[in-house]
Amino acid sequence: MLELFAEMWSFAFMRRAFVATTVLSISIAPVGAFLVLRRLSLAGEAMAHAVTPGIVIGFVMAGMSVASLLAGGLIAGIGVASLAALLARRTILRSDASLASLYLIALAAGIFILSAAGSAVPLQSFLFGSILGIDDPSMLLLGGVATVTLASFAVLLRPLIVSTCDPVFFESQTRRPWVVEQGFMLLLVLNLLAAFKTLGTLMAVGLMILPATAARYWASTITGQLAVGFAFALSSCWIGLTLSYLLPETPSGPAIVLVAGCLFLISLLFGPLGFGGSLRSPSGAEASPVPWIPPERRTP
Amino acid sequence: MSVILRIRDLTLGYPNLTLFRRLSIEIEAGTTLAVLGANGSGKSTFVKVLLGLIPPLSGQLTWPKGRPHEIGYLAQMTEFDRRFPIRVRDLVSMGAWRGFGLWSGLDRASRARVAAALDEAGVLPLAERPLHMLSGGQLQRALFARVMLQDAPLILLDEPFAAVDQSTEEHLLSIMARWRREGRAVGLVVHDLSPVLDHCNQVLLLGGGAATHGATESVLTPERLVAHGYLSKSQAAWMFRDSAASAVSRCA
Repeated sequence: MLELFAEMWSFAFMRRAFVATTVLSISIAPVGAFLVLRRLSLAGEAMAHAVTPGIVIGFVMAGMSVASLLAGGLIAGIGVASLAALLARRTILRSDASLASLYLIALAAGIFILSAAGSAVPLQSFLFGSILGIDDPSMLLLGGVATVTLASFAVLLRPLIVSTCDPVFFESQTRRPWVVEQGFMLLLVLNLLAAFKTLGTLMAVGLMILPATAARYWASTITGQLAVGFAFALSSCWIGLTLSYLLPETPSGPAIVLVAGCLFLISLLFGPLGFGGSLRSPSGAEASPVPWIPPERRTP
Repeated sequence: MSVILRIRDLTLGYPNLTLFRRLSIEIEAGTTLAVLGANGSGKSTFVKVLLGLIPPLSGQLTWPKGRPHEIGYLAQMTEFDRRFPIRVRDLVSMGAWRGFGLWSGLDRASRARVAAALDEAGVLPLAERPLHMLSGGQLQRALFARVMLQDAPLILLDEPFAAVDQSTEEHLLSIMARWRREGRAVGLVVHDLSPVLDHCNQVLLLGGGAATHGATESVLTPERLVAHGYLSKSQAAWMFRDSAASAVSRCA
């Protein structure tokens, strides 16, 4: 057994994969946590599809490079996100419906262009990534995005908490509430792009959402949510990579997300806020309100 | 009394619907203003205009002593995410979040203020509980504690009693009475007349495309309540059956 690990570790591409997914977990876990808390889990999925045409156009025009990936993905992602926000504000459609409409158009356009251009890159690597062939520029992209994400969270964490928990209160407290919202969407797009090379657009959201929803079953504070979510994301990556090495011919991206899925199921069954505990039972609190005694009538 | 907010010729509404025209009010320190009206008469819109969240169609808001850093605000409970993973104490601390450093926590004095507010609102024993374990009334008490922490000269409450039981309502009203004694102005959006009669010295009655403002006893007459679409004629006749306005004068 130990020899097998030693053998795995002796391959440079495996060592790279471990480092890449570790950096990715650090960066993606807090974004996933707030995606879930802001009730944007499905919007995350939609955004992952929405960046595809940008990446494809970048690829067709400038070849597969980090710069073309970043430029194309950012333009498409921010374009779709802000257009969806505009539709939600100015027309009858709610934000979910406007985002869904736009990302579907974007996704179809992306695949259409990719096929029409007679691309040499198979569609599969766009959707599922190629974690075992990560080059230096991709590593730099991962490190850069992780740095930007952590630095942004250091500044945005408190406004994010307040705006997520009580958006109306937050709006009443600040002149520019959209800074937090748009800043967060930008972080989301950046992290999707960072994960694109390693996991592909489809699996990237899996690593974002599943550890966060699993952590939700254990944590009742933000700190707990962030810490447990990170631990789940990291262990999904490590266990998933090892599994896909041990079982030949298995793709690493889906293996990682499947491990995250197992952690989710375990949390669902045993977590204190899942089936294991009870969300409803504390309503016993309702039956026995804490009596309030005015200060002047209190006896020491 | 010093004026906190002067409202001049305020016209409120949306591009294809005018809620009322050219309202002028001065909100003084120590006033408790009830904002009363039927559904859709513009009560919440009025509050959001005062907060600066929505621009008015026309009119001016002037703050003689400068716009306060904080306006205490309690939105309708329906707009709140109760499953958010945060403890009651941290929710209340949000009221003082301007006092936080970028990374540092609350200082000792602020922590003591948080504890005092939790205590006055009657939720100190629940301070370490997550929000999803609170009842509707307990959550509203916690949100009142957060307003206390804001320490604002003007406090706007949007239907704070919609989902709470009688004893909680009474307790929250006693907190409101203290705010008035401290010289804060309170704007209270309500559906129900009972808290208005005992606790508000002024009323802004909205509805029917118009607004009437004045002292409580002068505004709450059966004719006005019917004209603004707040009561039907038969409801007004029943409510004021003893003698016109006696219910009002008794409380005034």
